Amino acid sequence: MVAPPGDAATLDRDVRLAVYRKIVDEGSPPTVSGVADGLGITTSEIEASFHRLAEDHVLVLAPGTSSIWMASPFSAIPTPFQVEVGDRRYFGNCIWDALGIPVCLRMDGRIGTSCPDCSEPLSLDVRDGSLDASSDHVIHFEVPAARWWDDIGST
Amino acid sequence: MLLFRSEEHVMRWSERRGNSMGATLTPEQGWRLAKEWYENRLSPDWTRKTPDEAQTVFDSIGLVGAFWAMT
Repeated sequence: MVAPPGDAATLDRDVRLAVYRKIVDEGSPPTVSGVADGLGITTSEIEASFHRLAEDHVLVLAPGTSSIWMASPFSAIPTPFQVEVGDRRYFGNCIWDALGIPVCLRMDGRIGTSCPDCSEPLSLDVRDGSLDASSDHVIHFEVPAARWWDDIGST
Repeated sequence: MLLFRSEEHVMRWSERRGNSMGATLTPEQGWRLAKEWYENRLSPDWTRKTPDEAQTVFDSIGLVGAFWAMT
């Protein structure tokens, strides 16, 4: 159901769900006009919603645009964190997000990346809702939590 | 947030970049963090975690100390 005029919170919820639906189904986020067509709302209202969602850290837009860069845990652009879920392939923004993709889809999956130090290919498998963690791999956070959103691209 | 082969590789990489070590998690801690963070992300009722809620998640996974302080 589409939000009544003036209800920004409901519109933003509908836009968020439309964005994620497209990403899950097709592996890439929609454009402003794609969401506008789908919800039957003007592009200016959708563009404003994209920017509100970005201000709320729900979406990340490519700098200076209204194009979706991140709808965590999904990345709109290829990253070093590939996630295979069934016959679909997604990209996570980081290893945390990559693990979050099988979580939010509630499916098994394989995360493929490589060690930033030695470039060795590394993988983590999610099976039956659990992580198959029989390795001594280590997840590293470089930026303290309070500064994650100072520059979310490099975080 | 990156995945390394081992702690030794994190240290080597950090030294090369001239950065401090930051914080490390086991894959299992990372998995628990992902579950807490993303389990309901596709739900209509999902809302972004408040700083207090995020702190509770970190605490429950053993991610404590100044590095994990949200404010």
